[in-house]
Amino acid sequence: MIGQLDRKLLRDLARMKGQAVAVCLVMACGLAMLIMARSLIHSLETTRQSYYRAHRFADLFVHLKRAPLEVARRARAIAGVAEVQPGISAQVTLDIDGLVEPASGLVRSLPDEGTPLLNRLFLRSGQWLEPGARGAVLVGEAFALANRLRPGDTMAMILNGRLRRFRVNGIVLSPEFVFESRPGSALPDNRTYGIFWMPYEELANAFDMDQAFNHLALALGPGASEKAVSAELDRLLLPYGGRGAFGRQDHPSDIRVSDEIRVLTTLSIGFPMVFLSVSAFMTNSVLSRLLNLQREQVAILKAFGYSDVQIAWHYLKFAIVFVCGGTLIGAVGGVLLGANLVDMYHRFFRFPALAFQVDAAALGIALGVGVGAAMLGVLGAVRRAAKLPPAEAMRPEPPASFRPSFLERAGLSGHFSNPFRMAVRNLERKPWQAFFTASGLSLATAILIIPNAFRDSVREVLGFQWDIAQRHDVSLGLIEPDSQSTLHDFARLPGVVSVEAFRNAAARIHFGHRSRQVGISGLPSDSMHERAIDAHNKQIPLPPDGLVISVKLAEVLGARRGDLLKVEFLEGQRRVREVPLLGLSDDFAGIKVNMERGSLNRLMGEGDVVTGATFCVDSREKERFLAALKRQPRVAWVAVKESLRANFRETTAASINLIQSIYLTFATVVAFGVVYNNARISLAERGRDLATLRVIGFTQPEVARVLILELGALAFVAVPLGLLLGTGFATGIIQAVNTETVRLPLVLTRFNYTFAVIVVFTASLLSAGVVLRKLKQLNLVGALRAPE
Amino acid sequence: MPALASSSSPAVFRAAALRKIYGEGSAEVRALDGVDLELFEGELVVLLGPSGSGKTTLLNQLGGLDVPTSGELWYHGMNLASADEEALTQYRREGVGFIFQFYNLIPSLTARENVALITDIASHPMPPEEALGMVQLDHRLDHFPAQLSGGEQQRVAIARAIAKRPRVLLCDEPTGALDVKTGIVVLEAIDRVNRELGALTVIITHNAIMADMADRVLHFMDGKVHHITRNDRRAPVSGLKW
Repeated sequence: MIGQLDRKLLRDLARMKGQAVAVCLVMACGLAMLIMARSLIHSLETTRQSYYRAHRFADLFVHLKRAPLEVARRARAIAGVAEVQPGISAQVTLDIDGLVEPASGLVRSLPDEGTPLLNRLFLRSGQWLEPGARGAVLVGEAFALANRLRPGDTMAMILNGRLRRFRVNGIVLSPEFVFESRPGSALPDNRTYGIFWMPYEELANAFDMDQAFNHLALALGPGASEKAVSAELDRLLLPYGGRGAFGRQDHPSDIRVSDEIRVLTTLSIGFPMVFLSVSAFMTNSVLSRLLNLQREQVAILKAFGYSDVQIAWHYLKFAIVFVCGGTLIGAVGGVLLGANLVDMYHRFFRFPALAFQVDAAALGIALGVGVGAAMLGVLGAVRRAAKLPPAEAMRPEPPASFRPSFLERAGLSGHFSNPFRMAVRNLERKPWQAFFTASGLSLATAILIIPNAFRDSVREVLGFQWDIAQRHDVSLGLIEPDSQSTLHDFARLPGVVSVEAFRNAAARIHFGHRSRQVGISGLPSDSMHERAIDAHNKQIPLPPDGLVISVKLAEVLGARRGDLLKVEFLEGQRRVREVPLLGLSDDFAGIKVNMERGSLNRLMGEGDVVTGATFCVDSREKERFLAALKRQPRVAWVAVKESLRANFRETTAASINLIQSIYLTFATVVAFGVVYNNARISLAERGRDLATLRVIGFTQPEVARVLILELGALAFVAVPLGLLLGTGFATGIIQAVNTETVRLPLVLTRFNYTFAVIVVFTASLLSAGVVLRKLKQLNLVGALRAPE
Repeated sequence: MPALASSSSPAVFRAAALRKIYGEGSAEVRALDGVDLELFEGELVVLLGPSGSGKTTLLNQLGGLDVPTSGELWYHGMNLASADEEALTQYRREGVGFIFQFYNLIPSLTARENVALITDIASHPMPPEEALGMVQLDHRLDHFPAQLSGGEQQRVAIARAIAKRPRVLLCDEPTGALDVKTGIVVLEAIDRVNRELGALTVIITHNAIMADMADRVLHFMDGKVHHITRNDRRAPVSGLKW
């Protein structure tokens, strides 16, 4: 049996269904975001964890020049090491049919017999390699998909200078390459870079590595210290050109997954918090104003003998209906969005199966947060209702007391129309109500700023990356460090406008007790191609005998300009040198360490050595240039800026745009919800006054003007504040996206602000339209009767 | 101007077979059930009758707040029964002054501004100060409703109603929310503006005592004019026996 109060609840809700739906939707937006982001995090984390476990992802990794396999057995004997997997890892170039530029990749060896002990592959399609097979490879899924390679297809690969054709036996995934990207490249280009596996013997023959290895993966036993094992391992491998062991936290693929989770975490806190506070706000204003309108009903109920608790509970039920409605819509929306977004992660992260898993805890959190927000919103209002003395219902409410507004007291009253006076005095008399309305409008404006700031910021990063920092069209790496004279051959290739050599060296940089493994780029001091840029978008000329590093790396190391950094080279003579930090470059992707090339070579005790070059190419000759590169045996890899950019546009940019458009849709819904609610509540509160005006001869537009003036005055104050508030939100959220793979600059454009203003303005116009329709239904006869 | 109460004056309203029916079938309520009447310029008419007898429904029709279900209702040459919303708004703006039981002042406007609300939109209004002077509130011009007593608020409402120089003044229980003493002051104000402006004044009341101040009294019963009584001489408000 439904009680009479519940019947009242249902009828009241039916009457205010527009507002109830608006509150539910705003709450749903925040909760959907929360559920979506938390569930994506949950999906990524659990999938990664179970994939790593099932496929025995190693704990430690080390690259070296060359060591006999016997050394791997000594590594196995180090205390704390549970398992070792030695192998060969080699850079190759590829000639893919239909691809203009040369592609490159990494070939890894697989044991000739049996499965690897660590970093086991997952076979997506095709067959494993037969023992003793020749001329067959397994291909990483990202590259295979990007180049439409299927089992049975063939491809050409240059192995150690010799072109050979291979048959694709199977398409595989590896826990080591969840994120398939060229080392050091912040952005993936799966068309031109891939990972391949072939039997140990065949690869060893091609690279003269018989009975040797140049890559070692290790699993640690329970309780083993990664640091201690690393130190021991580094000592063991030093004579064999060991480049320093690194753990999962420095693993290029794992870092990307962790960074993505970190960014999602930031968003899963930032956005929903803003949205939920808006909805708490709206619940509060809807309910407290509803209570004001029902103040006499409350008193009558009390006069009939209903207890304070019964009445408080009755009004709390409104909040509960909002929360349940919001949570339901939010949960469904969040799960649907998450399930769709998880597909997007397939483009970046290669897991055997990345199934969307709803984070049950997130649903709980959502419900809790929703209830909390709504309760916070209504408790004050409900308390006031419960305190209302019943006698107040028995006499008509005395007219509210007013006084001339601040503007009039300041002597500005001369030109005010009466409707304007009504608006200003009404606002001033109920400053808290005006504050809440204005705050709602401000928040609605503010949340519109964030998604666009996000998009503009990503756009800025890309422009910076490709137009300011990197000005060349093509870059390539050599198989082995070589003398600078090699470049003469490259400079003669068709279409080359300019060429600059670079020397990359693996090193570990120490400062105090902190260290990071990095690649140092040796560049011309006034490089025209690859440039270090300061905070004012100006090039930093590379000083002799000093380092210019990313601000982010300096932050990670805790170093400042002028500090002496210890550079431990992980190749060549493996020197350890102290080098002053002379400049900080403001970049957004990855961490960069630049040095003047001559200084770097001197520091490493080498002659005039280069490891690669960058090119500006005449666009008309570009195809011939790339075709010529395909025939260069010394080239280990090639990166074409245009391809990277196009690939980025199709994947990362598309997904950022997707997320951005979801957030923007949510923000727009919220903006509309808030504005609409404000208009409806104002109408309800002023119903009697407005009806009186209609009765005494005001036309509908004249009455509407009174209402619109009031809302307009609030908007006039609220919108600029909202723009300011939105700037704050955007700054907070964007600066929180600060990882070693990507930082975002704060970019606030005039378009962004204009857009926010236009949306709020449109929402206001449409809401005004609804309110005008309601004005037609004003009960004129009712205005003659007793106050409601 | 003397208080005219005769059929020699031109009729302001003429109603014929006026019906207002709410609901249908068994729920049907005949709020007005065939009313025929004429109301004349300058006269003061009191509508008397129990609750639900149809007097407020009639007042709503006269004021252009509601339209009849059937019948004719003429205001001079205009048929209110078939007028559209725009015409009714114009009619209320220029022709009718309303006085409500609960005053219905705009609380955020002062006495003067509440009156000016009307004078801003009417064609030939009197200055707000003059209207307030007629109800003897010229010393309370800049007070807000909350600073005025109930009687004063009702007099502001009267000033607001008369400032447009209406041809009709409609009063719905104008003293219903007031004590006797204050009610007398308000009725005196209504009586005076009726005499001075010559506007047809219609007062709804439960209170039979007020019948003596009228030219004519229309007794309502079951949605019909049961009978009409005529006073040869209007009693002064101060002479009413409360």
